Amino acid sequence: MLKDITFGQYFDSKSVIHKADPRVKIVLLIFIIVFIFLAKNFWGLGLSALFILITMLVSKIPLKMYFKNLKAILPILIFTSVINVFYGEGEPLFTIFGKLDVTVGGLERAGFMALRIMLLIIASSTLTYATTPNDLTDAIESLLSPLRFIGLKTAVHTLAMMMTIALRFIPTLVEEAEKIMNAQKARGADLESGNLKEKIKALIPILIPLLFSAVRRAAELADAMECRCYNSGEGKTRMKQLKLHFRDFSITLITLIFGTGVILFNIFM
Amino acid sequence: MSVLEVKGLSHTYGGNTPFYSDAVSDVSFTVEQGEMIGIIGHTGSGKSTLVQHLNGILKPTSGEIFIDGENIWERPKEIRKIRSKVGLVFQYPEYQLFEETVYADIAFGPKNMGLSGDELKKRVLDTCRLIGVKDEYLQKSPFDLSGGEKRRVAIAGVMAMRPQIIVFDEPTAGLDPKGRQDIIKIINDYRTATNATVIIISHSMEDMAVMADKLLVLSKGEVVMFSETANVFSQGDKLRSIGLNVPIVTRVFDALREQGYDLPNDVFTVDRAVEVLKQIKAGDRNA
Repeated sequence: MLKDITFGQYFDSKSVIHKADPRVKIVLLIFIIVFIFLAKNFWGLGLSALFILITMLVSKIPLKMYFKNLKAILPILIFTSVINVFYGEGEPLFTIFGKLDVTVGGLERAGFMALRIMLLIIASSTLTYATTPNDLTDAIESLLSPLRFIGLKTAVHTLAMMMTIALRFIPTLVEEAEKIMNAQKARGADLESGNLKEKIKALIPILIPLLFSAVRRAAELADAMECRCYNSGEGKTRMKQLKLHFRDFSITLITLIFGTGVILFNIFM
Repeated sequence: MSVLEVKGLSHTYGGNTPFYSDAVSDVSFTVEQGEMIGIIGHTGSGKSTLVQHLNGILKPTSGEIFIDGENIWERPKEIRKIRSKVGLVFQYPEYQLFEETVYADIAFGPKNMGLSGDELKKRVLDTCRLIGVKDEYLQKSPFDLSGGEKRRVAIAGVMAMRPQIIVFDEPTAGLDPKGRQDIIKIINDYRTATNATVIIISHSMEDMAVMADKLLVLSKGEVVMFSETANVFSQGDKLRSIGLNVPIVTRVFDALREQGYDLPNDVFTVDRAVEVLKQIKAGDRNA
């Protein structure tokens, strides 16, 4: 059950999106999110949807993986759509509870919102499925590097390193938590039944060993890093240099064309 | 009736994801009351996955497990009762300690079984006596103990539930020779005191040769052999072909035999080796 958390789960299907520069991917994702929000009508949103569909196909990531992420936000999706159904203008189709009017406009609006949320989720899933966590933090470090002009050079590196370590240890800690849960279950711990208070109490035998092991791992890792003379100061070089390639420019160009399309639809349709 | 019967057990991890893999497939074996069974196999051969089925931590993808003739998944709601019948000591059990005192930690299991008051106290103290946890430790924090002592307390936590089958997943991993001996002694003491059935996963062929009545050999999730320890260790080539080996002392005797010495091929423990060598020495003198 804990294994179902897909956060940071890289899926290596070796597509052009996987190979693209992570910095470009992050910037383009921000751009895509902006134009999805900018889209005012179904034309613009439809064009965004077409673009997202193409990236889904190009990424070669199984559709199943996308659905898994969509399923996770299903409650939000339903909530937003249901609320929006009642906020349309125009002639009511029918009325419930005597007060709430359901209109064609409301239904359209609900569909629009739902589609928009789905597109946002799929777009960001593509980034996390097609980019390793390490690439992501490297890219964030690189994108934040202008901060060095205001004297934050090592701070940016330290922050990026902390993120890398945190991401790296999520699966390890999930695995550890599972082991501890199983060990306590084997000692007859009841994690499923009982009221809320009992359930919270049942977490203590899991959280304490987990916290203990996280601290132990942190100390061990710090020792190991010091043994290898790690420091976050000036003059640090990287094993993996980020470089822009032709494909990065083409991906950017295609995204820009679609973005422009969305804006044109906003103006003319 | 066998105390434990496993029938056609298979388990697939990550069933519906692109990452799925078969951990154990079609494993069947039976264990009689009071036997000591060793499970050996290369890393990733499915040993840990297999034993986690025996007390219902994992649910089989297919196949059945019978404890005392009863299918453990027949009433899924009562699976916790199975866990007090079949104790499972995980690898590095010291990482599961959490209570403020050693006493409270050992009492966690019996308490979950519904024991309380004097009965609970007696159970904890009896267990400590049985496996040599000193009284002065009982009010200490388990986090203040040494590695070997922590493991002993963690094992006590499972033994305090008095399981009739107790399963150990590499109980001596990461311990020094003295620590290993201590753990082996604890296991033997528990067995003598309660007449329990014991199942041990181990990478130490030497320990297995001394302790186990029977060995279950796993490779890639399948049972390769399930037979008397001596019988398994007499098939060295087969073991080597799946990345295992016979005890060191057996290897020494094999090498000597290859050089033309007339030695028996049933030497699996150091004690037996000493016995054989003494006989030869006595024979030489007589000659």
